[in-house]
Amino acid sequence: MNRKNINSIFKIGIWSAVTICFGILFFLITVLVVKGIQAISFDFLFTSSKNFGAEGGIMYQIIGSIILVITVIVLSAPVSIGVAIYKSEYIKSSFVQNMTDTLIYTLNGIPSIIYGIFGLIFFVNILNTGISWFVGAIILAIMILPTIILSTYQSINSIPNAFRENANALGLNKWQVITSVLLPRALNGAFTGSLIGLARAIGETAPIMFIATAFSGVTIPERIQEPISTLPTHILALAQQATNPQALQNAWGASLVLITLVFLLSISALVRRIQFSKLNY
Amino acid sequence: MDIQTITHKNIQTDLGTVEISISNFSLAFHATKILKDISVHFYKNKVNTLIGPSGSGKSTLLRCMNRINNTTEGITTKGAILFNSKDIFKDNNDLSYLRKDIGMVFQRPCVFPKSILENVVFGIQHLKKLSKTDKLKIAEKHLKAVSLWNEVSDRLNEPASSLSIGQQQRLCIARAIAIEPKVILMDEPTSSLDPISSKTIENLIQSLKKQYTIILVTHNISQAQRISDQVTFICEGNIIETGSAEKLFNHPEKIQTKTYLSDNFCNC
Repeated sequence: MNRKNINSIFKIGIWSAVTICFGILFFLITVLVVKGIQAISFDFLFTSSKNFGAEGGIMYQIIGSIILVITVIVLSAPVSIGVAIYKSEYIKSSFVQNMTDTLIYTLNGIPSIIYGIFGLIFFVNILNTGISWFVGAIILAIMILPTIILSTYQSINSIPNAFRENANALGLNKWQVITSVLLPRALNGAFTGSLIGLARAIGETAPIMFIATAFSGVTIPERIQEPISTLPTHILALAQQATNPQALQNAWGASLVLITLVFLLSISALVRRIQFSKLNY
Repeated sequence: MDIQTITHKNIQTDLGTVEISISNFSLAFHATKILKDISVHFYKNKVNTLIGPSGSGKSTLLRCMNRINNTTEGITTKGAILFNSKDIFKDNNDLSYLRKDIGMVFQRPCVFPKSILENVVFGIQHLKKLSKTDKLKIAEKHLKAVSLWNEVSDRLNEPASSLSIGQQQRLCIARAIAIEPKVILMDEPTSSLDPISSKTIENLIQSLKKQYTIILVTHNISQAQRISDQVTFICEGNIIETGSAEKLFNHPEKIQTKTYLSDNFCNC
């Protein structure tokens, strides 16, 4: 076999990998859109659900998901940025660096159901919080910490050392270097990381289904110790009534809305990344 | 230790007032000795040049004077560097004060991703509060001092990265003198520049010495010859010879200096 043939075989291999990948994605989204669009209507988006979701809309589920992710980002971003700065600027020994790396990757690798069980045992049973949307937000915030930390850390760490040196030589102390040289860059990384993390958090069912959500009769929570209803847990509830065609259709509709929210988050992360790459460092 | 007790004092009194005095200074990086028992003076309002082959320790010595390698792990020092009759290594207060007095310009220009104006005031605005007009005044004054004003006066709010490398280096000098230091350390400031930009920087150094003490590291002997007042030849962490530029270039005492100046080669 000559190298020309090998080259074309290689090309075919690569192309089929791409085709399979995008084919599956295209198929999924097409089915979702075709099935889901039938359920979507003004009423579906802006009324509350009845009869465990089989009738009515998903307004409170959409609002619930949005409340949840906003709380998650408020809780998670400051901690993550702090960890990223500490990791990049304060930890000098490579042993500790490797240790924190391992810890962060481990945290990232924990299956989401484990977070759910942890939340159930620690918050609901030991701290006796009851079913609370806020506890759910805390658990989701912990879950997306690694994503934001790594993204922020990478953007700080990629700043050439010359910038730190130049700023130091101009009389800036460490705190001033961090706030005026590193943070502007770090925030961009944190922003991208947050959006990716949120895209994951908004679609999670397992971590919150025991501790933060209820399947029926939920509106907008007025206190911290109240349950919330979210899109993914609502889809779960609807899927359990799959024999009812109306419930199934609503499940498709809710899925389409959820995927649209995730898509919006991912797209804004992408746009942000493209904008940022134009800044030259 | 007092300035009076420094051994080199008797050798060059004709060069004027001593600004920085290095006394029996040694530096090691882990087990490697980089500077070995160095004693030398740098003079006020002069261009003090450090020459030597690469790896000789001249940049390391320069970087000790504002303690910019303070954060590098594994560095140990012995001896003293006297500035304002105080050992800069004794005074472990805020290094910002030291660096306010001893500014630095690096080998490669490094502008912050901000406007030209913001770059000039980048250091000074952390030391005192500035209004918008203050910033403009400071920028104008120091951009004029580095003869960059005519080229950028109509685009002060454009990103500094839009300037050419030579202009960026002059911007970095403007940024350093904006904090009004007494000494400016320059670490091969022309080595990444084209010949014309280098010439501009050389002329600039000549005019800056009226106001500031310049300590310059260069590996370019002819550049050292053109602009130095005092020259120190360092090789393998030792000072081989130091003295006025006129004397060191025309009548070097040591055979190593002669070889280095003629063949750009050092066997010490």
